[in-house]
Amino acid sequence: MASTVDTPASRPEKQYECAARRFLYIWEGPLRIIHWVNFFSIIILSVTGYFIHDPFMSSAQHPYIMGNVRYVHYLFGIIFSVNLLFRIYGFLVGNYFASWRGIPNPFNAKDRKNFWAFIRFYTFTGKETPHLLGHNPVAFCAYTLLFALFILQMLSGFALWAQNDPGSSLYAVTGWIFGLVSNQWVRWFHFLVMFLIGGFVINHIYSVVLFDFKSKSGEVSSIFSGWKPDRRD
Amino acid sequence: MSAFNELLATHGVSRRDFLKYCSTIGAMLALPSTMIPKIAEAIEQDNRPPVIWLEFQDCAGDSEGLLRASRPGVAELVLDHISLDYHETIMAAAGHQAEASKNATVEKYKGQYICIVEGSIPTGAQGAYCTIGGHSAEDILKKVGGDAAVVIAVGSCSAFGGLPAAYPNPTGAKAVRDLLPNKTVINLPGCPMNVDNLTGTIVHYLTFGSAPAMDRFNRPKFAYGKRIHDNCERRSHFDAGQYVENWGDYGHQQGWCLYKMGCKGPETFHNCPTLRWNEGLSWPVMAGHGCAGCSEPGFWDTMMPMYRRLPNVPGFGVEASALNIGTAIVGASAAIFATHGAVTVARNWKNVASAKADLREEIKEHSDDVE
Repeated sequence: MASTVDTPASRPEKQYECAARRFLYIWEGPLRIIHWVNFFSIIILSVTGYFIHDPFMSSAQHPYIMGNVRYVHYLFGIIFSVNLLFRIYGFLVGNYFASWRGIPNPFNAKDRKNFWAFIRFYTFTGKETPHLLGHNPVAFCAYTLLFALFILQMLSGFALWAQNDPGSSLYAVTGWIFGLVSNQWVRWFHFLVMFLIGGFVINHIYSVVLFDFKSKSGEVSSIFSGWKPDRRD
Repeated sequence: MSAFNELLATHGVSRRDFLKYCSTIGAMLALPSTMIPKIAEAIEQDNRPPVIWLEFQDCAGDSEGLLRASRPGVAELVLDHISLDYHETIMAAAGHQAEASKNATVEKYKGQYICIVEGSIPTGAQGAYCTIGGHSAEDILKKVGGDAAVVIAVGSCSAFGGLPAAYPNPTGAKAVRDLLPNKTVINLPGCPMNVDNLTGTIVHYLTFGSAPAMDRFNRPKFAYGKRIHDNCERRSHFDAGQYVENWGDYGHQQGWCLYKMGCKGPETFHNCPTLRWNEGLSWPVMAGHGCAGCSEPGFWDTMMPMYRRLPNVPGFGVEASALNIGTAIVGASAAIFATHGAVTVARNWKNVASAKADLREEIKEHSDDVE
């Protein structure tokens, strides 16, 4: 029986060499919850938002379908926005990897070196597979852009919603947008950003899986468990 | 008072009709019924301000709207009664006589008259695109509008530049508010404006001596405070998911929502659904055509294509909708990362092969040990 199960524990005198020196708790609970709330919010907001743009389903079996879909869209718009506020709070007070302290510094030679190492890896021009415990500097740039889009999406969404009552306090807060851009272009932008986020999602999933394979650092499982290996190399 | 009653009589309007009209206006302006006598008094008074109607780059559609004011006959009377001293299209005088009449009013009632402007003001080519009596539209507006008690911009052209200001705006057309930044300008956009909103605005001014509460674009809130969509009689079909899919289809015959036919009701602030047009007879959506969004700033540039929900993407040709561009973005992202993945797999092949060999070696060694 023992011969069929091959584990390092079964033969401590000759272990496989594990790349991980030890495991570190990188992504803390709140951060992982925020990630998954984002995940579900984006999916639900995209589907309901597309439906609002082009109601593709018949009303026959669903009386009041547009009313319900809009309700769900607004509800998840609020959940998504509150989640975004939590993330901003986390950016201020979270651990090193979640907060502003982990931002790569372009004036720091080591951070610059890391950045170019990742650029070389992505463009197949380097032999090394770089590895960092937190966000890699190239991904950090992508996330910065993504969160800028999130904030614009939140603002434009609430502004469009507030138009149903120009006397409301929500409109008082967001109505200035329509002094700058016409509401049709705000709507257009709100729709187009959905596709930009869609393009990012493909990039995100691909890169995470890529690094999971190449750097053997548990990228995929870390967003469920929070743990990542502290590698020897 | 009796003089006014005579005027009513000559127009075949009874005192009762006049008071009914005052109630209607009061309701439109959302005033309590106790204000109705005040409205009647304001309309009847003898020191009503004269009105100068200026026309620039326009189609006279708002003048048409004014001439057809017929609900309930009294509206026309009110507009007559406020002594329309200058209106090129409908005044009897012409040429020097007309100009003299205008100048006399401007001099005599400086700071007291109401200036109504129809049409946009071209500022290109030193104003050569529109001159009247040897003066450019811009000069006339600055002089007549500048000395007015209040300026009312009727129609989308004078309120927001309208058609003349649409891209590429060859005449450098501007809105009244752009040229009179320090003046109270009440915008009554629409193509054309609804004359009931004009009489309402004037009556409000006569009653209170000030402009009605206005929104961010200087539109009176009583007329532009709600979206068409939110007061639309077809709104229940929108919420229920019942849409016209093609002109003349079953839904169109049933009067379902025109959302998928590009109706701009959800983007447009106006009181068309409640006030309607032509004596309250009908309005575009009631007649089976979507709202064109004519009372919104820059509507020619932002509300087109008329039968689509969203504007086309600029710089990508005529038919590039946000959906096409968005699909292309997602497709490009998928293609880029699929290619990257394929290259990675190909480059990794050797590593995987050697890793497998290593593992086989390990397992073999281990089984040997156990045996």
